Amino acid sequence: MTKIGLEIHCQLTKLESKLFCSCKANYREFEPNHNICPVCMGLPGSLPRLNQKAVESATSIALALTCDTPEKIAFFRKNYFYPDLPKNFQITQLNVYGDMSVGGEGYVSVEDKKIKIRRIQLEEDPGRIIYEGASERTKITLVDYNRAGTPLVEIVTDPDFESPRQVRVFLNILSDLLENLGVAEPGLEGAMRADGNVSIEGGNKVEIKNIGSFHDLEKALHFEITRQQSLFERDIEIAQETRHWDDRRKITVSSRSKEEDQDYRYFLENDIPWVKIDQSTRDRLKENMPESISSKKERYIEKFDIAPQVADIIASDRYYSKLFENAYSDNNAKDIANLITTDVIGFIDTKEKQQNSKITSKHLSDLVDAINSKTITRNSAKVALQEIVKSGKDTKFVLDEMDLGQVSDSSEIDTIISKIFEDEKQAVIDAKERPETVNFLVGKVMQKTKGKADPAKTLELIKSKLNQ
Amino acid sequence: MVDEEEIIRVAELMKIDLEEHGEHVSRVKKMLEYFDILDQIDLSSEEITAQQKLLNELRKDEFIPNDKKLIESLKNFREHYVRAPKMN
Amino acid sequence: MNLNTSILKYIEDVKSGIFTVEEFTAETLQRIKDVDGDVHAYLSLNDSVLNDAKLIDQKIASGEKIGQCYGFPISIKDNICITGTKTTCASKILENFIAPYTATVINRLQNEDAVITGKTNLDEFAMGLTTEFSAFGPTKNPWNLDYVPGGSSGGSAASVAANECLASLGSDTGGSVRNPASFCSVVGLKPTYGLISRYGLISYANSIEQIGPMTKTVKDSAFLLNVIAGQDANDDTTINNDNVNYLEDIEDGIEGKKIGIIKEMTTSDGLSSEVSTATKDAIGDFESLGASCEEVTLPTIPYTVAAYYTITSTEAGSNLARYDNIRYGYELESEGYEYNSYISKSRAKFGPEVTRRIILGGFVPSAGHAGKYFLKALKVKSKLISEINKAFEKFDYLISPTAPVQPFKFGEKIDDPVTLMLLDYNTVTANLTGKPAISVPYRVINGLPIGMQIMANSLNEKLLFQSAYALESKTNLPEVPL
Repeated sequence: MTKIGLEIHCQLTKLESKLFCSCKANYREFEPNHNICPVCMGLPGSLPRLNQKAVESATSIALALTCDTPEKIAFFRKNYFYPDLPKNFQITQLNVYGDMSVGGEGYVSVEDKKIKIRRIQLEEDPGRIIYEGASERTKITLVDYNRAGTPLVEIVTDPDFESPRQVRVFLNILSDLLENLGVAEPGLEGAMRADGNVSIEGGNKVEIKNIGSFHDLEKALHFEITRQQSLFERDIEIAQETRHWDDRRKITVSSRSKEEDQDYRYFLENDIPWVKIDQSTRDRLKENMPESISSKKERYIEKFDIAPQVADIIASDRYYSKLFENAYSDNNAKDIANLITTDVIGFIDTKEKQQNSKITSKHLSDLVDAINSKTITRNSAKVALQEIVKSGKDTKFVLDEMDLGQVSDSSEIDTIISKIFEDEKQAVIDAKERPETVNFLVGKVMQKTKGKADPAKTLELIKSKLNQ
Repeated sequence: MVDEEEIIRVAELMKIDLEEHGEHVSRVKKMLEYFDILDQIDLSSEEITAQQKLLNELRKDEFIPNDKKLIESLKNFREHYVRAPKMN
Repeated sequence: MNLNTSILKYIEDVKSGIFTVEEFTAETLQRIKDVDGDVHAYLSLNDSVLNDAKLIDQKIASGEKIGQCYGFPISIKDNICITGTKTTCASKILENFIAPYTATVINRLQNEDAVITGKTNLDEFAMGLTTEFSAFGPTKNPWNLDYVPGGSSGGSAASVAANECLASLGSDTGGSVRNPASFCSVVGLKPTYGLISRYGLISYANSIEQIGPMTKTVKDSAFLLNVIAGQDANDDTTINNDNVNYLEDIEDGIEGKKIGIIKEMTTSDGLSSEVSTATKDAIGDFESLGASCEEVTLPTIPYTVAAYYTITSTEAGSNLARYDNIRYGYELESEGYEYNSYISKSRAKFGPEVTRRIILGGFVPSAGHAGKYFLKALKVKSKLISEINKAFEKFDYLISPTAPVQPFKFGEKIDDPVTLMLLDYNTVTANLTGKPAISVPYRVINGLPIGMQIMANSLNEKLLFQSAYALESKTNLPEVPL
């Protein structure tokens, strides 16, 4: 059986400042090395100052993932030399003196399978290395420390996944959860990364590092499973090792670095006292936590009788659920939900489009009101939506401007029907013989009215005219 | 007994070049041998402790831009980047 | 003008117009020129010191609000950062390091109008007891230039003893303020851990070290602590001291107080007969002041030096890892080097003691050895804390000689690492337990000083100063023969 475990790193980019200094947590807007200070550059004599909100955000993540949260947390130094580490050690968390990282054991359900979270720790991101130079000989290493000290939450799972697909489902659930908590933006480039470890039945565990995106993670896992299976079939031992994902060649490569020889000499970071997080603090954090995706989904289904697939789509996405929450009333909730999942999603299907969209909850409730009062048709609502997303103009104004008001005046529709009966003689004969073909005539009316005619009334009028 | 080979291996991990400093090994060894005294004390009931602080005593999450010229006061920078030796 | 004066007397004299800040500073500068060629207390001088003094005179003349220091001259150990000035830690690896920011203690001194004379010598990265490990040559003991001044804050102690300033700031990791204070006959305080901000102090062993004032008198020490102590937003380990005024009630005496004489520190093999005799005298003085003295045993003390060196080298190995010469440091072209060989080459600039401590620091906490060394050392620390807390339930003070011996000649002990380590025998307990301790000049025998150490419970500095002041009043020491 294949076993996969994960180490996920997620930046807390919703914070204002870094983990141990007042530089910006989201470093992306800066020129290289322009988001640094003596602390994150590890200059001699500087001291880390722990960010209270970072501890709170990380604790919220632990609580949301149902992890145990300890009374006291501690920080440790992981010592190793690398150019992206200004102090040549990383401040991180460990559980060597009992449970002292922000989160202990917890579980996430993935399609009826429980995935165990082993621990959650808060740590600092290193800087970024850029390699430049045409040939191996002229290659140089450039370092940008803007990222150094960005608050990072590491989530470690047990090797409970059985397939790369399960991993993907889990990561989607996790991204949605982190985004819903309002602590992270998993969509930002480099904000969420994952390393994996893979073993197949009868083989040793292999760690895979240096994976840039979730997309690549799935590819790397597939590659690694195939590689291990082919070794196994040929009776070659699968060595316990660390392999790197080669993004260019899309394969995993054995790390030549003596990673196994490393001795990180973990010990307490005494510049940061142990932080007490008492029960009342944890209660407060729990209270202030947004409703979880699963309970939101349950509520939509139970209270409003919304279809499970529809409820799932809306609850999992912060943007849609916010639109929904502010738009619905007790008697139109289902219609709003359907409008979002059938029409809105078509126009706003990426994070970028969400950011640029001008639509508000008021627009949605106005549109549903207009449909329900038969002021406009479903079709017209879709046309109006496209314009509203772009301009954000008032619904009534858009409907008037685009002349989308529904035609429900019988005599007006009647006139149109008479004209069509003249133009489509064959269709009229067909409809008289085979009533199921009547929709063709209805469609013609809709075409003529640009979708504005009340479909029910139109059908009724056509039927009575056919019977004349 | 402390193994001199191991002291040399540790020195390498600490990025200390012992080529010109062979005498350090014997002196480090002497110090380590003195530390053997730690084997003679009963510490079975002791726990490791540290200073403690309340969550709300920690730094508030606020972005305060630092002096932009910090990078220029450092050496080895090149067009805003810090230049490091090539990696193997 | 008498340069051998206290801060408090100096302030009185400036206030009453006996001399100006500039006059006193100029005289001090002249003294430095006259004696520092021999003493070598300073590594660098503040170029604008006279101008700084002049500005304070102008402030006084204009009736502007003036800080409580009135421009008294103070030297600073060269492991404390001041913006725009060299901070070398007496190491070749930081020979050209210009600090881009200022330590909290310096800000507090400058806000109160102290004048900084310059940066003083130390054992490289504060690792040593003699200043012989300074990369820029040792400091000499002003009492006898053939003798070591103690360390690691030897430059600070010598600068005060030789009247090259009125006070200095040192740092104390295992006795680095108190040992040279004892050797040079000045007052040296290692405060409660967390009382003084370490922001801007270049770390050696951050879990136990503190900056400490070095002064000519106990009252000056209390005065200086008033200026620099207290919580600092830049150092999460600082603690609230409720703005205690350490000078207040300092003359209250110690009548009725209980003093514990630490048996392990007054009967150890390494104790010289001169120091032993002086200690007996001091006990007599304490009793004559109305305190009751009784021997107390702290059985963990024989293990403290090993624990201390294990903990400090572990932390040093990590704290000094950042000196890879990539972001700052000295000129060494990286062309032609691969990363690992470049940093190993760069780190060859560390001196011998620092190099050894870094190796030790890689060894004792390593996965295979932490159980034998590092974790045990931490537990020794815990055990010692319980023992000393118990002792403080009974005693107000714990006393011992600051160092087991008097100053010795250069080169005398540098070759034996274990002998060198044991010089810390009486001082490391205060660091490992976080308790405050002060060294008070007590005797000069054969022309060489001896200091007494008094320890008190955490945050009891005020009580500590009362006993130190009482003991100081029983002494009558000669002037430095320089």
